[in-house]
Amino acid sequence: MTERESPQIDVGDGAAIPRRDDRGLVSAWWIALCGAVLLLILLPLLKPDPYLAILRFIPDGILITFQVTVCSIILAIIIGLLTGLGRISRNRFINLIASLYVEVVRGIPLLVQLFYIYFALGRVVRVPDIAAAIIAMAFCYGAYMGEVFRAGIKSIDRGQSEASHSLGFNHTQTMMYIVLPQAWRTILPPVGNEFIALLKDTSLVSILAVSDILRRGREYAAESFNYFETYTIIALVYLLITLILSKGISIMEYRLSHYERR
Amino acid sequence: MLNRFSILVATLITGIFMLCQPATATEKTIVFASDATWPPMEFVDEQKNLVGYAIDMVYAIAKEGEFKAEIKNTAWDGIFAGLIAGKYDAIVSSVSITEDRKKNMDFSEPYYTVRQALIVRKDSNAATLADLKGQKVGGQIGTTGYFTIKNNKALEAKSYDEIGLAMEDLNVGRLAAVVCDDPVAADYALKRYQDTLKIVQIIESGTAEQYGFAVSKGNDEVLALINKGLAIIKEKGIDKELQQKWIGR
Repeated sequence: MTERESPQIDVGDGAAIPRRDDRGLVSAWWIALCGAVLLLILLPLLKPDPYLAILRFIPDGILITFQVTVCSIILAIIIGLLTGLGRISRNRFINLIASLYVEVVRGIPLLVQLFYIYFALGRVVRVPDIAAAIIAMAFCYGAYMGEVFRAGIKSIDRGQSEASHSLGFNHTQTMMYIVLPQAWRTILPPVGNEFIALLKDTSLVSILAVSDILRRGREYAAESFNYFETYTIIALVYLLITLILSKGISIMEYRLSHYERR
Repeated sequence: MLNRFSILVATLITGIFMLCQPATATEKTIVFASDATWPPMEFVDEQKNLVGYAIDMVYAIAKEGEFKAEIKNTAWDGIFAGLIAGKYDAIVSSVSITEDRKKNMDFSEPYYTVRQALIVRKDSNAATLADLKGQKVGGQIGTTGYFTIKNNKALEAKSYDEIGLAMEDLNVGRLAAVVCDDPVAADYALKRYQDTLKIVQIIESGTAEQYGFAVSKGNDEVLALINKGLAIIKEKGIDKELQQKWIGR
């Protein structure tokens, strides 16, 4: 493999994913995790009204948030794979369609896309609320994912496909058996990152009356006037979830880098 | 060059000072917050102006109560938090006076009486809330209409940021019904969605629901000014005129 020596700025849009050698970030991760867990346990214990009531109110919202996130990411990966393949396709028409999709989606704010798919297209086809949210999120993230796939496939050395062609594999077979399996290793960490970013962005679907964590919190706050307490809990729940996920992805990344470390 | 620059700076500073100066030194300015998505009580017209029954009412009260009124368009969700945080002096946003709300803020004398109305699509057979068992019914978050739905365990309650979004979801069929204040229900069912929606029931809650202007707890100065103006309005019959103009009955 050819090593590119150009400096890289490694900033994800999901959450700061701690690498094993990044001491500062690792200890920050521990402090944040312990702080969040401690507060989530202590607050309801010390002041059951309203903290315990809030924690009782939002669990079904957490479920909806996960449901939207997981369904969207699966759809987005499928769309992303197709888009990524389309973007490197030699067929000019397919290439144009894929590029157009990426350009259009990346040029429109997610919130506007959500409104568009829910309310504007809602006039034409009746999609249930959660399905509309999932489609909108997947449609948006599919474009970002497409770029990840494209970069991942491009990162595989040309020699690999040349060797594959010389062994008699055709274009599709080369992609399926030689290039994609190797590209996965590069693609998976940024996909994990996108997963966290997507989970946080699902808070936007609360605007579509989808009962996610944020919407449940807002409903509670609107009736009880406990704004400070409610949003504190909401923030802590989101923080806890993303911290756990970012650790999981960090571990996954470490496992995947096994091959390089040898 | 430097000279010209200093003139520019001087002009800017003078300008800023002039902007900061109150228009009239004697009259007190009361800043109202309003979620202008609630026609015909308060909404934004085609010219982007805040208009409606309650908006006219505030300006009339200000005239009679001898203060200056300024109305800020504010999102409903969080409008009470803003009042408690002191971002404005009062709320004019069709706020029904309830016991829960009275614990967190003070209210003026009531200025309008409403009931909750049930709206369904024209092709629906439902006539009461009881007919909608297990179905999705929507309302605006934090409103008495939404509380009515939520407290009815047989229904699946859905909360919206604005009543207009709930009406649109009802219009396209994602909801089975919407519950909101009757003047607003009438505005949507008889005007904006007159071809698709209808009002089928006025939900009797036992007690009359009344709109009041909300002020933060203990803000007696502002409350007195509003109440004074409101009393004169009622005496002169201006409230009846406004009702005729905006609600038509």
